[in-house]
Amino acid sequence: MSEAATQSVVARPLVPTTEEDRYFDYCLQPYDPVRDPRGKLRSECLLWNSLDVVGAPPSLDAALRSVQATAGRDMTVFGIKHHAGRLWWELYFYDRLKEDSAVQADSIIESVSPWFSFAAQPRETVPYFMFSFDLFPDTAEGGEVDVVNLYLPYYEVQGGRSYKLSAAGLEMDNVYRFLHPKTEVREMLHEIHQSVFVDFSRVSLSQVLLPELIDCNRVCVAKKRFADAIYYSGIDVGQLLYFFRKFEYPEAIQSFVMEHRSEFEHLRFDVGIDYSMRPDGSVEMVKSGYYGTI
Amino acid sequence: MNDSALRDQVHPTRFRDLAVTVDFHCNSACTFCIVQEGMNNYRGVPFERFAAIADENLRSHKYDRVIFTGGEVTLEESLFQFVTYARNSGGFRHVRLQTNGRKLADPAFTRRLVDAGIDEFFVSIHGDTAELHDQITQRPGSFDELVRGLENLSAHPVRRMTNTVVHRTNVKAFEGIVEVAQSHGVIEMEFWNYLPMEDHDDEANLIAPLTNGLPSLLGALDRCAEFGIRSVTKYVPQCMLGAHGDTLDNSQPDTIIVETFWDEFPRFACLYEAECEHSEECLGLSHDYVRKFGWEETTLTPVPRTRPWTPRDVGVQGRPDESPAETAQAPGGHPAWEALLEGLPGDAGRMIRVQLSRNEARFSLEFGEGASLDLVLASRDEDAPALLRTTSFNVFYSQVNGSYEPPHLERLLREVCDRIEARDDGSLSLDSRKGLVQLKRERNERPQVV
Ligand SMILES: C[S@@+](CC[C@H](N)C(=O)[O-])C[C@H]1O[C@@H](n2cnc3c(N)ncnc32)[C@H](O)[C@@H]1O
Repeated sequence: MSEAATQSVVARPLVPTTEEDRYFDYCLQPYDPVRDPRGKLRSECLLWNSLDVVGAPPSLDAALRSVQATAGRDMTVFGIKHHAGRLWWELYFYDRLKEDSAVQADSIIESVSPWFSFAAQPRETVPYFMFSFDLFPDTAEGGEVDVVNLYLPYYEVQGGRSYKLSAAGLEMDNVYRFLHPKTEVREMLHEIHQSVFVDFSRVSLSQVLLPELIDCNRVCVAKKRFADAIYYSGIDVGQLLYFFRKFEYPEAIQSFVMEHRSEFEHLRFDVGIDYSMRPDGSVEMVKSGYYGTI
Repeated sequence: MNDSALRDQVHPTRFRDLAVTVDFHCNSACTFCIVQEGMNNYRGVPFERFAAIADENLRSHKYDRVIFTGGEVTLEESLFQFVTYARNSGGFRHVRLQTNGRKLADPAFTRRLVDAGIDEFFVSIHGDTAELHDQITQRPGSFDELVRGLENLSAHPVRRMTNTVVHRTNVKAFEGIVEVAQSHGVIEMEFWNYLPMEDHDDEANLIAPLTNGLPSLLGALDRCAEFGIRSVTKYVPQCMLGAHGDTLDNSQPDTIIVETFWDEFPRFACLYEAECEHSEECLGLSHDYVRKFGWEETTLTPVPRTRPWTPRDVGVQGRPDESPAETAQAPGGHPAWEALLEGLPGDAGRMIRVQLSRNEARFSLEFGEGASLDLVLASRDEDAPALLRTTSFNVFYSQVNGSYEPPHLERLLREVCDRIEARDDGSLSLDSRKGLVQLKRERNERPQVV
């Protein structure tokens, strides 16, 4: 972590809750706060903290503020991604009912145009209900987003498939399904076991389906091109801290949440883990991420 | 995790017991001890705090029984002060001591305890022989002392009970332990599956795998039944108990202990929770167990449910000594919005919840005999149809369900509309862009966080 980053961890004011805050999970589904939110912090504090921990330049802040002002407060889902000590972000925009043109790709792309550009822009007639893109620490320094992900729903089944859009064109990327971890346990186990990457004759289910996180509102089982993934949504701050420890998040992220634990107690969080298996039969955690809204 | 979180996981119906941790010294060193680390840094409950709870209990009759535990509280002279107060208060029918039983080897000391008012002795016995028990307590002679203690108790009109911690070292000994207990007048035996409290990775190798520990536990439960000894099991999956399923009792007393104790207390899970008839009573497996031995997804055998399943309540629970004001219903997640309908007369209707979504606030209301509707607030819009327009909102309703008398519906709508109209002063808004300014389009500016 750079010295500048250390300083800004101290300097940045925290963002308190307001009476008009809405509470959404990473699918932008509303949830009831776990406790009285008065006097506590908004989940966007996680995002700003991660920017500071990485030492991202102020341009990234500015671009994110612009996104927030365009999409509206609480209307943008952010994911903070982590792999082997490296952090980056993904932003997700939902407009299932095409209610708000401000969260369509073209207006979001326009809102960040002073800071970065896009190599490809989706056709609005594609029936996507969500799109997302990655941001790296230096993206807003005049960089280019080369991939936009488009998500298309299933009929009635909760889940979807996603496609990568780049200058090279469109490509199928992954499929995923949402399930209740308790009432749809058989379906969930089936989906997890249907793996080409993990050999469950060698790997215990408990290594990928984590007991500490299974008490959640919904799981999502995803099949990606080079890994499988499980997402747990609606976990509490204690479970989030467990997740940070287990997946060795930077100390500055863990201590931030630990220090403000009681101010995050009203929130629910979502986390996801991509995993695969190494040739020796051990499970490899490829990458993970946690989510909130700004 | 706090006490309330724990309580979400235990049998919800039996909290008539109060456990009080008097101190945290011990003369044994059980290999699995739940408060091993705590022994060095936990403090006992101050006498005054206990006295206040006992006084309150006299009014509330919340607890039938008080259990003194620690540590090994027979080492603490102040125990007598607690016991005497508990007995004299008249508020508890039973005063129980949790002990390793070693000090009971002294008949005069045992008499003093009984005279002070203890009528239930809950004595730990972890092996069927001195060799095994002493190996577990790491104190030679401890087995002989506890056996002498049980003998001494036979001179008094008290209940003799035992507890055995089920763990890898003693899985072969359970039946033998029943024999020892039976020959010393024990009327009730508990078997608590080892709770990995401080060693979550089980480095000490104490967790007994189900397939190894369970068969011999079942043998011991058979023996108890033969001898007419009541048996209780804890923290064991109910489906593994076969005909002894009804011995499972995961209820916890309300416990006054340092808050941090619950941070380490194991949590439990079972894949089949929503499918299994027993999931209200059964905890499943500890997370530590699952990490080490897996979910046991092919060993556990859920019994199909005959009733609908609802997820465990994650509500906020009170402390044993909290005042009625504290217990009063905690506010929900959107206090400012809930306040719009505050004071709704009960006979007009009842607010269940408020949910804020992209562009509306939705109040779920119940009224009459099980009828319900959603009252919706959207941003004020002269062109959209509405039941009522207030300073900031269009108000309308939808999702009317159940049967009701039309005047009842009208009354409810009148009551809610009056309130919202009077209270909407324009300060609450559904506009998610309110107060957010589009930044000047320049790079490298770091905006102030609002
Ligand atoms: C902490 S002890 C204190 C009382 C006394 N010193 C004794 O040994 O019984 C309270 C009870 O917890 C049980 N116990 C201790 N450690 C345990 C563990 N790790 N898992 C389950 N029960 C445990 C003991 O057997 C005893 O019945």
